[in-house]
Amino acid sequence: MSRKEAKALKKEEKLQGKHRKIANGGKFRKWRNKRPFWGASLIFLAGLMILYIPLHLYSIAFIPGSFVFIGFLFGGLILIMGILDYIYPQFSTVFGVVTIFLSILSVMGALGGFVIGTIIGIIGGALSIAWEKQEVTIRGVVPNKKQQDQDEVPNEFMEDKEVKTVQA
Amino acid sequence: MGEERKETVGRTWKKKFFIALFAGFLGLGGLMSVFGFTGTAFALPLGGIGDFYVEFDELNGKGFQLLPHIGETGDSDAEPMIRNKIEEVEIKNLHIYKDIKMPTGGWVRVHIRASGPTKISGLIQDARMIDADLSFNELAIKEQNTEDFSTNWSQDAKTITIKDAKLVTDYLFQSVVSLDGTKIYVEKIDEPDMTHQ
Repeated sequence: MSRKEAKALKKEEKLQGKHRKIANGGKFRKWRNKRPFWGASLIFLAGLMILYIPLHLYSIAFIPGSFVFIGFLFGGLILIMGILDYIYPQFSTVFGVVTIFLSILSVMGALGGFVIGTIIGIIGGALSIAWEKQEVTIRGVVPNKKQQDQDEVPNEFMEDKEVKTVQA
Repeated sequence: MGEERKETVGRTWKKKFFIALFAGFLGLGGLMSVFGFTGTAFALPLGGIGDFYVEFDELNGKGFQLLPHIGETGDSDAEPMIRNKIEEVEIKNLHIYKDIKMPTGGWVRVHIRASGPTKISGLIQDARMIDADLSFNELAIKEQNTEDFSTNWSQDAKTITIKDAKLVTDYLFQSVVSLDGTKIYVEKIDEPDMTHQ
């Protein structure tokens, strides 16, 4: 076996291990894995940071030209993008692109959460763009207690369960 | 031991991530360089972050107005202040800094320094303390018999020159600002500036 093949095999094994961990993991790990969790979380955080400045400005003075509302708009939209990214992971690329665009623009009017918000927004958006759903076959899954119980139920019940899972 | 199962999992593609990240920072750099070339920012507000300090060597302004004002600061809802309004301003050696407490307990100071001349249109600034050499041209101090404190008293001047100033500022707004030779940097400090606390 060449070195290249060995490297690829090792990588594949590592990936399998990761997938097995997910399959054997708890509810939260599975939920987290079905959406661009870190991307969406960072986008949400960036939205809060960008909103911080206009929220404080609004309490102090009504700025001529109402530029504070541009800050509100950008920060609010980024926040919504983060939330939608959790709910509709299939559109993660679109949310990511829009977030990056808004994060950059938020430098005007809202100072981009002292630029830190902009940088976090760009990283979150990039993570969201790079995220993809894929179906994998996982070997060596340990059936958990719930599944073991399911295994014990008669076959006709099992079939019914399977149909439901596929539909879901 | 174990079984084979099909599962949907999420995966982050490194290549895609770095391309998107690069594109994002390229966009940010592009926007910053547009500001850099023209040195202009539109409607730049700075406030709601508590006291910050403004220092400069010389300021020449046209259309100056000074009004009493009550405004919010970082640690109080209503604090007496002075509102300066200047239509056209040119500042030499502007230095704005703000002390921020880190969650670890240490302090950092964020500096914005413009070595070239700074030109501002439509400046509104709320200060809690002004320490400077001031000179006015055609200064008029007016009092009005009114209940409204903000128009009760005003000080107008056609031109104003301020030298070696230090201002404790709580709110700053510029309609158009052009900063030449701007540097923004952060440094660690032992303790914050406590001027007029």
